[in-house]
Amino acid sequence: MFCEKAVELVRELHRLGDGQLPAFNEDSIRQVLEEMKVLYEQNQGDVNEAKSEGRSELIPSIKFRHCCLLRNQRCVTAYLYDRLLRIRALRWEYGSVLPAAIRFHMCAEELEWFNQYKKSLATYMRSLGGEEGLDITQDRKPPKSLYIEVRCLKDHGEFEIDDGTIILLKKNSQHFLPRWKCEQLIRQGVLEHVIS
Amino acid sequence: METQAYVPVPPGVGIEENFLSLDDILLSQENLPCRTESSFPRLGFLEKSSEAPDIPEGTKMEMPLWLAKGLYERKRRVLSVELPKVYREGWRTVFGADPNVVDLHKMGPYYYGLGSQLLHFDSPENMEIAQAVLNTFIGRFRRTMDSSQNAFNEDTSGLVERLDCLEKALFRAGQSGLNSFQCWETGRASHLTASSLVLNYRKRKIAEVQE
Amino acid sequence: MDPSEVEFVAEKEMVTIIPNFSLDKIYLIGGDLGPFNPGLPVNVPVWLALNLKQRQKCRIVPPEWMDVEKLEEIREQERKEDMFTPMPSSHYMELTKLLLNHASDNIPRADEIRTLVKDIWDTRVAKLRLSADSFISQQEAHAKLDNLTLMEINTSRMFLLDSLDCMYKLRTNLLSRGGAPKGHDY
Repeated sequence: MFCEKAVELVRELHRLGDGQLPAFNEDSIRQVLEEMKVLYEQNQGDVNEAKSEGRSELIPSIKFRHCCLLRNQRCVTAYLYDRLLRIRALRWEYGSVLPAAIRFHMCAEELEWFNQYKKSLATYMRSLGGEEGLDITQDRKPPKSLYIEVRCLKDHGEFEIDDGTIILLKKNSQHFLPRWKCEQLIRQGVLEHVIS
Repeated sequence: METQAYVPVPPGVGIEENFLSLDDILLSQENLPCRTESSFPRLGFLEKSSEAPDIPEGTKMEMPLWLAKGLYERKRRVLSVELPKVYREGWRTVFGADPNVVDLHKMGPYYYGLGSQLLHFDSPENMEIAQAVLNTFIGRFRRTMDSSQNAFNEDTSGLVERLDCLEKALFRAGQSGLNSFQCWETGRASHLTASSLVLNYRKRKIAEVQE
Repeated sequence: MDPSEVEFVAEKEMVTIIPNFSLDKIYLIGGDLGPFNPGLPVNVPVWLALNLKQRQKCRIVPPEWMDVEKLEEIREQERKEDMFTPMPSSHYMELTKLLLNHASDNIPRADEIRTLVKDIWDTRVAKLRLSADSFISQQEAHAKLDNLTLMEINTSRMFLLDSLDCMYKLRTNLLSRGGAPKGHDY
């Protein structure tokens, strides 16, 4: 049957229901587009024949192929759109710099889209809350205190805090830091929030 | 509980599909028993059992919902759609007797979705199908709700196994409400944690390395 | 809403404290607070009360209803009635947790209070579930649920809304005349 590759693309995303981004399946997309080209050409031929020779019995098959064309289009559109939803979520989960492993899963256009999204989000955040702007990716839950105790889960190097002091985030070291400075690193799994 | 930043396009449920919903695309991939009411020239190769160049009129074949919907027309009928077993009278009676005993996952897993979509094809039994689907949902609601509200911290796989996709989504909604409440109650809500997405990526990476 | 956001809202509730320091009236966007005099009771929002308490600057006077006898009465009433009875505070759950976690030394019989409030909560949630089921099975179109608190609504909001949405759509099926699909769902 037609459209099987296209549905396979959709299944691939559906299986990863938690929002992970699988590698961009360029090969399958190309195969779907090829199938669409064949369907379109066959239909062009049949349409011409139906018109010039009055062969109206070809119409059901033309319609059949047309349905398949639209189905392929729907699957590919949904595939690309769902990936964009996932990529947008990455900005909120990881911050503006993505790990290389994830970037490798994106195609050039998706990387471009991510950069554009990043930029418009940054522009919006700069426009909020007076001169300094407001980072709306922070404090997604009401904070209980301004400072929190954190432990380093891996070596992360030097880190500058509000007053300009530089501290060294070394594996297993423990620090008392401004919450808003650590939230992103906790989400990325670099730091661990310690509750006394 | 970390609120997920990724929210997929929800399924339409009922008579309208949601164009970009992955769930609905997979629902519309379900096969229906069909019979061709005209011949389909030059598509014979789709029928594996025959060598003929055309699909002749009167061929019984399985077609995915999306194709049946696309080809179906009241005026110029090229196709008729038969009811899948679970929506026929025999099974409707079984569902009517006690909807809780049926394994809707095995029967479906898109029992409600497919049942609603079947209404596009003018079957004389449409009214009965719509009623049966609604009654099944209502009859099973208490169980879906109770399991989603009681099963916290327990192994829920046995409960979820027999649920239809729609019920499963409701089950998850119930669990996440309960889950976040209990996180709050036990004081874990103010604990900042790594994003579950990040953790899952890491798990997968480790799994790949081990392979 | 996340429960921690509901808790945040609850922190705006007023509570009486007995400060052990002096401070003039302070003027904030949300209203004026103080003046604070050692030994003199004053009303402040819960967030401030907890902050002062953590720094040992005050003693918290538990709200009137946070009392074993009163809560036992409420529990019996809640068990007896089919409807939801009015709660003494629309944030009874959050306030109990906040005050018991941070100021249990100011609240007599704190453990009993914790258990009682949990009992009341459980009774009410069971009731909510029962009425949700009869709502669905009788295919009602609207319901009046007086006296529910924000935290209670919040815990089952997603489940209930999604379920009602499904039921609505499956019911709409009954009205459809069938016929050729209109949209472009391929």
